[in-house]
Amino acid sequence: MKRRDFLKVGSAGIASALVGTTGLISWSRRAHAATISKTFYITDGTITMPDGADVYFRGYSSSANGLDVPGEQLVVQEGDTVRITLVNTLNTTHNFVIDGVVDSGAIGGGQSKTVEFVAGNAGTYMYHDDRNGEYNRLLGMHGGMAVMPAGSSDELYSGSPTFVQQYFWIFHDIDPDWHNALRNGSTPSSQYEPMYFTLNGLFARPPGAPGAMDPEVDAMVDPRSALHGHVGDRTLVRILNAGKAAQSVHTHGNHMEWLTENGQIRPDVWKKDCLYLDGNMGALDVIYPFEVPPDSWPPATKGAYPMHLHSEMSQTAGGGLYMFGALTDIYFE
Amino acid sequence: MFNVLEKSLNRPAMGMRSRDGGGGGGGGGGGMGGACYVYPENLITNPNLVSPDVVYQRGIDMDIPMTMDDGNVVTMWGFTDGGGGMGGGGTFPSPAMRVRQGQIVHTVLDVNMMWAHTIHHHGIEPHYYSDGVGHITWDVQGASYTYQWRPAHAGTYFYHCHTNTVLHAEMGMYGALIVDPPEGIGTLYSGGPTYDTELFWVVDEIDSNWHRLAWDAGTCGGNVGLHSLNPDYFIITGVDGSGSTAMNAAAISGTFQRGTKVLARYICAGYHPQRIRFGGLTGTVHISDGRVLPNAIQATELRAHSGERYDVIFDLDTRGEYIIETDIIHWVSGEVLGTTRSRITVI
Repeated sequence: MKRRDFLKVGSAGIASALVGTTGLISWSRRAHAATISKTFYITDGTITMPDGADVYFRGYSSSANGLDVPGEQLVVQEGDTVRITLVNTLNTTHNFVIDGVVDSGAIGGGQSKTVEFVAGNAGTYMYHDDRNGEYNRLLGMHGGMAVMPAGSSDELYSGSPTFVQQYFWIFHDIDPDWHNALRNGSTPSSQYEPMYFTLNGLFARPPGAPGAMDPEVDAMVDPRSALHGHVGDRTLVRILNAGKAAQSVHTHGNHMEWLTENGQIRPDVWKKDCLYLDGNMGALDVIYPFEVPPDSWPPATKGAYPMHLHSEMSQTAGGGLYMFGALTDIYFE
Repeated sequence: MFNVLEKSLNRPAMGMRSRDGGGGGGGGGGGMGGACYVYPENLITNPNLVSPDVVYQRGIDMDIPMTMDDGNVVTMWGFTDGGGGMGGGGTFPSPAMRVRQGQIVHTVLDVNMMWAHTIHHHGIEPHYYSDGVGHITWDVQGASYTYQWRPAHAGTYFYHCHTNTVLHAEMGMYGALIVDPPEGIGTLYSGGPTYDTELFWVVDEIDSNWHRLAWDAGTCGGNVGLHSLNPDYFIITGVDGSGSTAMNAAAISGTFQRGTKVLARYICAGYHPQRIRFGGLTGTVHISDGRVLPNAIQATELRAHSGERYDVIFDLDTRGEYIIETDIIHWVSGEVLGTTRSRITVI
């Protein structure tokens, strides 16, 4: 099994696009467009599930011997030239697609290719491999890209409600039978039945469980996933669903301000404690406002609350192990 | 123990107190009945309590028989009205809570058994001591605990158990929670529209295979099927919704004079997505998830996913019989698994 490579990319060659070296997406606005370069290595390997099963994955990885599922977060601004070099270390054919933005075309086994595009409309995007329909995306070949409005560091789109920090929550679900079939070059023939559920590639580990509190293992504390803020630290969360199951994203502590659905700006900002996240690349942008929890008495300014999917099957792993699924914690500090 | 806040913000301390076992291949677990990753040992007395305006006492009943239209009986679990007692007196759904915005409410949960439960007031956002989430604070097992909350927003909520939630909420451990504005029943929110009567559409699905599991099923590992919900019954507000039962049940269906303003409080209480169609009626959605929409919307149907609520007012101006159908839709395949039916007749 390959050790997961956790966002240890060097920033050399990446002009001020700070690509997730911490959990937060760090971002400094620039007056001028830049060229952002990034190399992804298409790799594979197995990842151990919470019940001990090893499952095969492929990913857009930041090193040739790593396996990143999802791929590293990309953050650029409108007008930037984005140059992505894909190095296919496998012997299968892949591609790199951002729907409506860029399509690398086929990258044969052992081949490399560089694609270049100009970042267009501000918003949240998924990059993925659609060479073989959904299969490579399900195997792990997906990741998130944020396009910031030009000259702005606190808006999702020009004129949007503002925030002070931002995160990605990329959800995924895994049917090991499909992964095994695809590993063997077969087309899955069974009905898709997800058995494992991840947030930013990790499983939650309840207190006391092996790996609990390890930020490289436990989605509850993974700094890419767990929200930290003081009251008033309005937090943008870019939510993407790489899996097939429709999910209900549920936050405790505060309602979410619902800004977009599947790339479309909502006509009004509704405040919701549950949001419908479509399967197969559904997308939401929300702001978690870090307000004093409104129904607390006496008013509470500190504390911890969960974010979990209310489609509760997603909270399990391997058919049991409640709390080893796709959830994290939110810390009012 | 007053340092629980610190501990939960720096969770290693909480982890230290927890049980071993489970995970990484399963096995182990030294809790009551072999449960893993429940946290009754963390329980403290809620230190924030002040004098309440309203108190709800809730006990546990884990043997509530529900007879379906086909004659089969499925075991449900639920909360009882009144604490203490072991079993008996429970209903499905659990008894509703109805409070007024701004009241200080205590929910006293009595778990007089060696199984763990909590109450989470879904959509209510209290201090985390009162949020009922086991891994953040504690589960309640063989003990009593008081949750304190003060609702700030009128609307439709529900409360449910948050221990081994995937199973306990499916087992029926939930009830409606209504917050009325200061004006009281009949006004949706302060300064908002009025209504004459209410219907409650709490739509859920039941996989009867899950209803044979123990309270701690799967917590220590092992495949007990909790990733796969394959419902064979479709429920609206505690009755079998597939046939005609719900269409003749009070508070779910009704016959109204023309001109009546009916408020429907719709709760998506299952785990699969739903689509509710109003049978030819157009409703005005004023509130979702306990928050007034900036602009009300007109709707002939809505889609919803687990835990969402919609408060919809129907101005009944045209005589007729309207069948409200809610499809329960498989979360992956999109297949319609079943449909519940309720009725509004306008005379």
